[in-house]
Amino acid sequence: MRKFTLAAASATLALALAGCSSSGGGTQSADLGSAPDYTGSISILTAFAGQPMGSYFENVIKAYKAEHPKVQITLSQETDDNAVKDKEKVLIASQSLPDIYFSYAGNWGQNFAENGLAADLSAQIAPSTTWGKTFGAGALNAFKYNGKYYGVPLYNDAKFMGYNKAIFTKLGLTVPSSFEELISDCTTIKAAGYTPIAFGNKDGWPGLHYLQQLFAYNVPRATLDKDLLPKTATWSDPGYVTAMKQFNELITSCTGDGTNSNGVTYTTAQQQQQGGKAAMYYQELVEFDSVNTGGSRLNKDGFGIFPLPAPADAKGDPTTLEAAPEGYMINNKSKNAALALDFMKFATGQKNAAVLSSPPYGQPSAVIGAVTATTSSAAVAEGSAAVNKAPSTVVWLDMATVPTVGDAWVSASEGLVSGGLSPADALKAVRAASEKAK
Amino acid sequence: MTTAPASIRPAVARDVKPVRNRQPVHSRERWRNIVWLIPALAVLAVFVYWPLLQNIVFSFLKWNIYSGEQTFVGGANYAELATDPIFGKALLNNAWYALISIVVQVFGALALAAIVESVRSERMRKAFRSIYFIPSAISLTVAGLLFYFIYQPQSGMLDAFLTSMGLGQYAQAWLGHESTAIFAIIAMSQWQGFGYSVLLFSVALQRIPVELYEASAIDGVGPIRRFFSISMPLVREMTGLMMIVTISGAFQVFNEVMVMTSGGPNNSSQVLGTWLYHAGFLNNDFGYAAAIGVAIFVITLILAILQLWMSRSRRVEW
Repeated sequence: MRKFTLAAASATLALALAGCSSSGGGTQSADLGSAPDYTGSISILTAFAGQPMGSYFENVIKAYKAEHPKVQITLSQETDDNAVKDKEKVLIASQSLPDIYFSYAGNWGQNFAENGLAADLSAQIAPSTTWGKTFGAGALNAFKYNGKYYGVPLYNDAKFMGYNKAIFTKLGLTVPSSFEELISDCTTIKAAGYTPIAFGNKDGWPGLHYLQQLFAYNVPRATLDKDLLPKTATWSDPGYVTAMKQFNELITSCTGDGTNSNGVTYTTAQQQQQGGKAAMYYQELVEFDSVNTGGSRLNKDGFGIFPLPAPADAKGDPTTLEAAPEGYMINNKSKNAALALDFMKFATGQKNAAVLSSPPYGQPSAVIGAVTATTSSAAVAEGSAAVNKAPSTVVWLDMATVPTVGDAWVSASEGLVSGGLSPADALKAVRAASEKAK
Repeated sequence: MTTAPASIRPAVARDVKPVRNRQPVHSRERWRNIVWLIPALAVLAVFVYWPLLQNIVFSFLKWNIYSGEQTFVGGANYAELATDPIFGKALLNNAWYALISIVVQVFGALALAAIVESVRSERMRKAFRSIYFIPSAISLTVAGLLFYFIYQPQSGMLDAFLTSMGLGQYAQAWLGHESTAIFAIIAMSQWQGFGYSVLLFSVALQRIPVELYEASAIDGVGPIRRFFSISMPLVREMTGLMMIVTISGAFQVFNEVMVMTSGGPNNSSQVLGTWLYHAGFLNNDFGYAAAIGVAIFVITLILAILQLWMSRSRRVEW
């Protein structure tokens, strides 16, 4: 079995790569200006597989086909993160990207945009256009590369500390206003028999989310932006080591498993807060409705959110929020690009945007006015408002930079958690990865 | 000890020269045989040899999969392989995998098979074989997930067991620490593959003429001596084959590592297969991934040649 799997993986790699042509992606551009052909067909790849998200696009397609019965739509869904990333890479290599496909903001989307795989949607979705005006400008700008707009932002995402209101009230705690206060609160919470912060770092990236937010607080923004690009990176600012030391302090003082956290999954940590065992859990805005579910202990105790508080002497920007929308791109070689565009306009219409923002989906739509106290849960509405108000945002570390450097940071996060890697050694490994990526 | 009759005396095949069938084959029949082989050869050529050749070509390239742009870089990917500390770590982990698997799945399984086969009751023998074989019927992915829960630091059975035995100081996140992750995975793999090896050795042991054991028993030879003097030499062919298959399998391990740690934490449990996946699908470095693929191919090819050579020279007949 294992021989078969490895052989299959190698063969897939070889066969997928065999599809690569040495001449590049070609120059053909999607025809977005013509009228949609409502007898045509389009294919879609989403990152919404599984429950409860799986039915969202299925329902949107059903509604679209009710209006245009002759349109043929092939839907393919993968789960978020590695599954969808792997699928897209194989599809790129075999030159069979679907007409509409999922994309992260940051370096992931940039690769599509700069290599002729994504259609330039500036004429349709730039903030000054009719369709563009329906989106928050920040969400549109997240998919702006070299002055052009390439993505249709579907929902906003950001990282917040979710907390159990009943535990905070019982212990006489208020929302901490600084990182130091958060650490101090952890001691109080631990003494009361609760896990202060639920944390599972089996996949490495949960630690990365803490690190990127702490980097934004401790490193001047211009330096951070420079370091995210291998060509200009030095990763020499002392703020990185400071941030990693703060991360270590948080792991030691606030998490239940401490250095054992690499053996705990993200979902296990999620369940700790859901069951009322953990006072806090650092989570994404898109997770709020799946953590704070009706009938859960957390739901009864009350669920509140706050951004990870900045350290008192932060040298970076203490108002920055780690946030990034996720969205969809249209294949630059799509034969039915106008139809694909029409479908995305339909999917991001006010009605569908409101459905997406409501439970059980709870994905705060990037469409203005879709997330309200009536359409969304209180936490999703509050988080969404905070994203819109944030003076500046920073993209997830593994998406903000090239994969080699992002991967080095994932390994560093695991090493920092287990105690097997010092902040200085972690930075050294990242510098080496960045040097290689130049 | 009495001498075994010549008819059942073991003989090693290296003393016997193979005799070829020199009978003339009609040329039409010969061509007909070749024609029957062509479809299988064509399938192998398209799905095995052609991708293999392409993979070798890719290992000399650097390219951007997004643009399709390919650049010939000569042996740069191989030079990187030689200096990559994680490739070295992965190779070492595969070697650990092979070593532990030989001890447990070859010699441990042989010893257990001998014990199982020495049980007098046939019903009990069958029951034991089935009990040991059941883990092998579970898919590696499922076994990986199962052991992930057993190794969990909060609610895992292993830490709970250690704590209940007063060994709580050893309780830890077995998959979450650099020093234990790969060994925790190897342990799961032994549990999963052990029963299969026991079954194969049981079959080999059953083929040994019972007269040998009876004669040695009459001579007063104890069970341990019987194991070393009769069982082990007469299953030498199977032992050799199992060693090669085990070593070869250890260098192709992939599933269990992906399911349990994905090579983490901090790349401590990377093996060649996962590092290949990592380089290609996570770091977009497909040229380097192809070079790792070639390295795996060379290692397993050497092992396969060794396997063929050993299976020729260790044939036992009686």
